[in-house]
Amino acid sequence: MLILVIIAELIGTINIPLTKDVSITIMPLIYTIILGLVFYLAKPIKWIQRKQARIAEGAMMLFIGVLIAKLAISSGQSIHLIFEMGPALILQELGHLATILVLPIALLLGFKEEAIGMTNSIGREPNVAVVVDKFGFNSPQSRGVFAIFIIGTVIGTIFISFLVTLSLSFLPLHPYAFAMASGVGSASMNAAAIGPTLAAFPGMETSIEAFAGFSNLLSFCVGIYIVIFIAMPLTEKLYYWLEPKIGKESIVEKKMEDE
Amino acid sequence: MADFIDGSENVTVHGILNWILLLVIFSIITVIGNYIGYEHPMADSLVGMGILSLITLIGVWMERELPFNISSILYISIIGILIALPGMPTSDFVLYYVSQVELLSIVTVFLAYVGIGMGKSWDEFKALGWRAVVITVLVIASTYYGAAIVAHVILVLTGVPAV
Repeated sequence: MLILVIIAELIGTINIPLTKDVSITIMPLIYTIILGLVFYLAKPIKWIQRKQARIAEGAMMLFIGVLIAKLAISSGQSIHLIFEMGPALILQELGHLATILVLPIALLLGFKEEAIGMTNSIGREPNVAVVVDKFGFNSPQSRGVFAIFIIGTVIGTIFISFLVTLSLSFLPLHPYAFAMASGVGSASMNAAAIGPTLAAFPGMETSIEAFAGFSNLLSFCVGIYIVIFIAMPLTEKLYYWLEPKIGKESIVEKKMEDE
Repeated sequence: MADFIDGSENVTVHGILNWILLLVIFSIITVIGNYIGYEHPMADSLVGMGILSLITLIGVWMERELPFNISSILYISIIGILIALPGMPTSDFVLYYVSQVELLSIVTVFLAYVGIGMGKSWDEFKALGWRAVVITVLVIASTYYGAAIVAHVILVLTGVPAV
C-alpha cells in the first residue's frame, strides 16, 4: 500500500502539452489506481492477494468517510459564498441531472442495474461514495459507478478539454455559463475545462476562474445532496419503468455464463 | 478484519478497534503521500487526518447506533460543516489543520484501495468493455451541457450582462 502511494507521489503530476492551449495532465491518483490493480492481477506478488482485496473492500466505507469529512469542512468554511453568489450557481447544479437522459442508451446497450450506478451522476468520488453506501460494494450498481469512475479517471480529463474546445466555437452561451459548467465535481476535469474557456474569453480570467472553482466546490458539497435526494430516486424510477420495455439481455451475466 | 466492518450491525469493542486501526494505517499512508506530493509538514497533516478520522468514526458509529435510517455520509457531512462554520469556536483550529491535508492526497490513497478491490471484479469490468466507455463519454458530456445550459438560461433571465 504504502509503496504504491510513494511511487505515485514521487512520479508526481506530468503535463503533456499537445498544442499551445491543450495539455494532458496525468495526476498521481491515476497511477495508484492502476498500480493497485496491476499489483493485484500480477499473481506472483503474494502479499496483495484475495485476503488483502477483501480487507480493502471492507475498509472502503471508512475511507470514503474521511473523504466526505474533508469535503464537508470545505463547504462549512465557504458557506457565506453560497449565499452571495446568487441563483445561477445553485440552479446549474440541477443541470447535472441531464446524465439521467443517458439511462435509455445504457439499457439499449445491454446494461441492467449497472445502469443505475452509471447514469445517476458523473460518477466521481462523492457519487461513488453515495452508490457504494446505498447498494453495497458488491452490487451491480456499484460495479456500474466504478466503471464510470475508472474510465472517467483515465479518459475524462482528455475528453472534457476536447469537448469544451468544440463547444466554445459552436455554442453561443454566456461566458459565465461555460465557467460554471466546468465545475463538474472533479478537480482534474475542472482544470481541463477551464483552460480552453480562459483562452476563448481573454480579459475575463479572474471572474471565470472564480465561477469555475466555486461551481466545482458546489458540485462536491451540494451536488452530493442533489444526487441523494433527486437524481438517485429519479434514476431508479426511470430504470424500473423503462427496463421492462427496452431492456436487453444482460451482457454481464451472459459473459459470466460463457466462461 | 473486513467481516467486522461489512457484516456486523452491532458495534462491538473489537469492531471499533478494527475501525480505529484501519483509520490509523490510512492516515499514516495519506500523511506520507501528502508530504512527498505537497510538502506539507507531517505533524500538522497528521493532526488534520486525526480530525477527519474522528469525524468519520462518529458518523459511522451514529449510523449503526441511532434508530434512524440515515447514511453515515450525511452524519459525517453535517458534523464537518458545523465544526467548520465561520464563527464556531472550533473553526480556526479545524480549518488550519485540515487545510494541511490535500484532498488529492486522500483521494490517491483511497484509489489505491479501489484499484486493489477492483482486481477481484476484473473479469466483470472486462465484460463492461466498450459499452461502458460509450456511456462514460455520454455521461460526462450531458453533465457538462446540462449545467452550461441551465446556467446560461438563469444568467440571461436574471440579466447578467454578457460583458
